[in-house]
Amino acid sequence: MSDSPTSDALVPVTVLTGFLGAGKTTMLNHILTAQHGRKYAVVVNEYGELGIDNDLVVDTDEEVFEMNNGCICCTVRGDLIRILTSLMKRRGKFDGIIIETTGLADPAPVAQTFFADEDVRSKTRLDAVVTVIDAMNIEQTLKESPEAHQQVAFADVLILNKTDLADEAQLEAVEKTLKSINSIAPVHRTKKGNVKLTDVLDQGGFDLERVLKNMPEFLEHPEHKHEADISSVSLSLKTPLDANKFQLWISALLQEKGADMLRTKGILNFEGQPDRFAFQAVHMMADGDSIGPWKENEPRESRLVFIGRNLNRPQLRRGFESCAIA
Amino acid sequence: MSTPTIHGLIDKRGASRVVNGHIIACTASRDSQRFAFTTGEGDVIVIHRADLTETSAWVTHAVHDGSALCIAPDTDPHSFLTGGDDGRLCRIDMHGEIEELSKSRRWVDHVATHVDAKTGCIALATGKQVELRDATGRKLVKTLEHPSAVSGIVFDAKGKRIAASHYNGASVWFTQPKSESARVLEWKGSHIGIAIHPKGDALITAMQDNDLHGWRLSDGHNIRMSGYPSKVRSLSFSSNGKWLATSGADCVIMWPFFGGGPMGKAPKELPGAGGALCTCVAFHPQQDVVAAGFSDGTVLLIETESQRVLPVTTTGKHGAVTTLAYSADGCLLGFGTEGGQIGIVNLSAS
Repeated sequence: MSDSPTSDALVPVTVLTGFLGAGKTTMLNHILTAQHGRKYAVVVNEYGELGIDNDLVVDTDEEVFEMNNGCICCTVRGDLIRILTSLMKRRGKFDGIIIETTGLADPAPVAQTFFADEDVRSKTRLDAVVTVIDAMNIEQTLKESPEAHQQVAFADVLILNKTDLADEAQLEAVEKTLKSINSIAPVHRTKKGNVKLTDVLDQGGFDLERVLKNMPEFLEHPEHKHEADISSVSLSLKTPLDANKFQLWISALLQEKGADMLRTKGILNFEGQPDRFAFQAVHMMADGDSIGPWKENEPRESRLVFIGRNLNRPQLRRGFESCAIA
Repeated sequence: MSTPTIHGLIDKRGASRVVNGHIIACTASRDSQRFAFTTGEGDVIVIHRADLTETSAWVTHAVHDGSALCIAPDTDPHSFLTGGDDGRLCRIDMHGEIEELSKSRRWVDHVATHVDAKTGCIALATGKQVELRDATGRKLVKTLEHPSAVSGIVFDAKGKRIAASHYNGASVWFTQPKSESARVLEWKGSHIGIAIHPKGDALITAMQDNDLHGWRLSDGHNIRMSGYPSKVRSLSFSSNGKWLATSGADCVIMWPFFGGGPMGKAPKELPGAGGALCTCVAFHPQQDVVAAGFSDGTVLLIETESQRVLPVTTTGKHGAVTTLAYSADGCLLGFGTEGGQIGIVNLSAS
């Protein structure tokens, strides 16, 4: 068919998470009222804060559905499937979609919706999960709430908000904590949600360019705070990978440990392939695509990042290395 | 390059036009004299049978602010009812007058009607609720509550019951005002569409996980029908209830509802359209002919016994077929596509 969707034809979706009172709605309004010449459809929870300044706002109940594939972590947002599919029937009316979740929501079902549903997949792409953090209260919130850990772990972008209420030492401590959970996501500081649009929109969160850019930094500081429930492990390999071996290893790994693996992302160098291969997974749901040739001067190196619980670094490294060509 | 020579019935017996917006739903009026299509832009396009091939005479009504999500023939012979994501249920009468019958905060996702000699009933689904309204639509008779959003509603052939699909099953309610409770048919998972056997033998739902589920209504026995490569968006029973035609594969899949089936029976595969995914099916209201629409815009009529194929259109350039419906007398067949193509054919001998 001539009209098969290219990634440009897919409508970008930004997911806004963050704990109660972190300043999601303020930031959302800041984004919507900024002079960017773009129109957004906004999906909010009906029990959420009011006062969204936009023409096209859809209220929803967060309906988390289990998929019937025997995997308990494969949950999707049934309401979003319905709403996104319907919104795509008038896609000329907006340039992008922003979904604001409730403070207590687990981001996994939202992210998995973009993998699991064929209609959503064929028309939209998850641009980025943006998590808003209250600089003053996040340490306490992380102690009390597993959902807050999930929200940090799932983020493609972390917005450290209300920085005017904390001093520099506090902010640095918070950033360190955030990095220990999610070492990939860039952290942007804001005061009253006045985020730079280029920091949150059009992130192409899954095209992984940013991951590559950010990797060296944390590779140099591979410290992990072990008191944190969730951590990141990053691996790199110069020897090209055998695509079949990698497929077998990663499928078995995600099958077995998918519940603990919140997010997996990688850019892979498969033997005999001119293109970079982008791999991504949310729990057990995995996806991958060629993302164009390696750039000149760019080291042809496979990089893989895991964010999750109980990650065994030596074991993951051995597994990854076993995928190298013989 | 091949140059298609056979275009189909639409050339001699019908007409087609491309309008602005994704075509979401279509139906004929109860008297089969009008046909209407709804769009993602909130418009409703009405075609009169008398000047069916005069595409310039097709009238566009701006009805909803947002998408016009659903349509049904009204309880009177001439009008249509539409629901939209502006939360409104509207009537378009034979003069093109638009009347707002109800308004809620929720999208009106589905509308269905039933009429018999004595009375009529209108049902609409908004969020988790199904509202039953009287034949005028102005009076709310009762509200039926469900555990999650309703994904489809259907009246049984006599209008005594209405069934709604939702997460983890379906609920069957009696429509008479005094009956309060639902019979809940449970099956784990997300049910996304619904059909009822014309004799009330079975209730069938489509599921998120690319298969069908069903319940034999006499005893609640579970029926599973699987093997689809994608979601089944469209279900249609033959008028005698022998066959259930479905979309979701690269041909029309029909399940037998006789001889003990569909349990333990293989489905029948009707011809397809060169590998394109079947997206829509509609059984003829009297005959053993099924109309099928495909992802490449093709629309075919297929005789279920002989499997003879009669093309309606084979030169679609405006995306997948999204909706397909016969008029009650079986003479008109209308279809719409993702890219805004509207087509209609008159099948009566004239």
